[in-house]
Amino acid sequence: MTLLDVQKLSIEYRLSDGKLRAVDQVSLKLESGDVLGLVGESGCGKSTLVKGIINLLPSNGRIIEGDIVFEDVVLNKLSKESMRKKRWKEISLITQSAMNSLNPVYRVGDQIAEVIIEHEKVGKRSAMEKAEELFDLVGLDRGRLQDYPHQFSGGMKQRAIIAMSLALNPKLIIADEPTTALDVIVQSQILERMNNLLKGYSGSMILVTHDVSVVAQTCTKVAVMYGGKIVEYGDVVQVLKKPNHPYTMGLKNAFPSLIGEKRELVSISGTPPDLSKEILGCRFAERCPFVIERCKGMSLEKTEVENGYFYCIRHAEKEELRKRADLPETWESEV
Amino acid sequence: MRLAKYLFKRLIIVFITLFILVSIVFLMFRVIPGDPVSMFIDSGLDAESQQLMMKLYGLDKPIPEQYIIYMKNLFRGDLGNSFTYGKSVVEVISERFLNTLVLTLTSLMIAFTLGIKTGSFLAWHRNSKIDLVGTILALIVRCAPVFWTGMILLSIFAFKLEWLPLGGMTSVGQNFTGFWDKILSLDFLKHLILPAITSALYSMATPTLLMRTSMLEVIKEDYIELAYAKGIPEKKVRRRHAMRTALLPVVTIFAVQAGLAIGGSVLVETVFRWPGMGREIVLAVSSRDYPMAQGAFLFIGFATIVFNLIADVLYAYLDPRVSLG
Repeated sequence: MTLLDVQKLSIEYRLSDGKLRAVDQVSLKLESGDVLGLVGESGCGKSTLVKGIINLLPSNGRIIEGDIVFEDVVLNKLSKESMRKKRWKEISLITQSAMNSLNPVYRVGDQIAEVIIEHEKVGKRSAMEKAEELFDLVGLDRGRLQDYPHQFSGGMKQRAIIAMSLALNPKLIIADEPTTALDVIVQSQILERMNNLLKGYSGSMILVTHDVSVVAQTCTKVAVMYGGKIVEYGDVVQVLKKPNHPYTMGLKNAFPSLIGEKRELVSISGTPPDLSKEILGCRFAERCPFVIERCKGMSLEKTEVENGYFYCIRHAEKEELRKRADLPETWESEV
Repeated sequence: MRLAKYLFKRLIIVFITLFILVSIVFLMFRVIPGDPVSMFIDSGLDAESQQLMMKLYGLDKPIPEQYIIYMKNLFRGDLGNSFTYGKSVVEVISERFLNTLVLTLTSLMIAFTLGIKTGSFLAWHRNSKIDLVGTILALIVRCAPVFWTGMILLSIFAFKLEWLPLGGMTSVGQNFTGFWDKILSLDFLKHLILPAITSALYSMATPTLLMRTSMLEVIKEDYIELAYAKGIPEKKVRRRHAMRTALLPVVTIFAVQAGLAIGGSVLVETVFRWPGMGREIVLAVSSRDYPMAQGAFLFIGFATIVFNLIADVLYAYLDPRVSLG
């Protein structure tokens, strides 16, 4: 069953000197039980996209076209009050800054209980019992529920937020870099637990990250974002094994693979494009080692593949590009 | 337990501060120009009688010895006798002090309750017209002198409309059985309204503007975004998450303002003929009533220290990050 269907969504920020289109005509489909990895460099619109989905854009951000359909309900057309009721109950959000997301003047346990009481209209007691179970789940000591956030370490705060996100068994958890403050071992532990839990009631998750290895390990689907667009989308095995878009190929090279032999890590030189200016053609063209004249200036060409799609006009030569992308020299040469 | 330890530590600091306060007040009155003797002791008296009078008041002794005597008396709660009233200073001042305290606390309560609400309201509607108008209004009221606002209010509500009395604390001919009977009477309340509002208007700007700034800071915090993401209704986000945290600096300023208000009540008290401390200080200074002025300064200093102690304790209670150790 389709849980979330984002249709040609565009989000703009109003700036003092013009506009910035952070998300440009993004389409995305998520089935129940899917775990979608949303990858890309910083500043390519990942966080804006997920905040748009839950309708929590900053005051200068606005959805200018497209729809977000969640279980046949168009979220961006909901009233404030109906949207509020859906938040956390059906879609919970773990923000990037989990470290500062806890209110310093309340006990951590009370902050978890707050959300349970608000949505389930239960008493404080049963809410606290639920909070205890959640703490067990993320590997925190139950006694720490009585502590204040400043008594927690960074990793503990992040676990507490993760515990909170699971409190109401939401159909969708949006996790915006949820494990950045955790070390690698704990990170995979927590993600695995979240995964198992979601599987238990076939909940879904959108995992925003720039770590391809995390995606490989956790996700079933992956969407690669670049410059406000999803440049490649598909099943995780498909996309990571046989990337079709040069940016995905580059991204893959920049991270160590968990399986397979050790290899040199290669980064993509240059920076993501400035989105406040209009860009013709492929947004990755400036940094792409395979760029040809046709890439710039032409409108984008979508290529559908099994369970996914990508945007690259050199799709016919993808086998060859893939081979060249595996060689570190390709990415070192000046483009 | 931790709170008790914290309180104990604070109390020690309070005692040290008090000691410094009384020493400064003592020294100040020996250093400032003017001679207590000249006012009290008739220059027509012969030298011998003058010496006798000096001896009677202990003014012939060297300053360190005077200091020790002063401290001893202070510990016994003896601040000497007023030159003008002929009664003990403590007796005169405690009554005036209570009057001032009632007026000050009433006006501060009005000022802070309204100020906190207005400030958070303005911050919530930041960059709107309401915010702009509200901020400017707060600044205007803050700049208006107390005696001016007082006179305007008096001329409208007491003189033209005759709704409220022109001044004083109670009407002539009223009999009260005690302090509480008096301050809970309708007559007293009628007298209290105008001076309380006048000084509340003046004190309101500080908590309003501070609360506004503090809220603007807090609104940007990530935990406010999380509160929205949690699906908490806007009203609760504002009250439970934003206002609660933004309140902290306002609590600190409360202590400072309370101390200032008690010391600075002289203008309101003069305009409304309120028999309080402020008026008493002016009287004492102008009539060179040294023991009286000295006592009044001590009371004000003492009140400021106590209010600071209250603020410290309140702050520790409100902000768990303040270490109680």
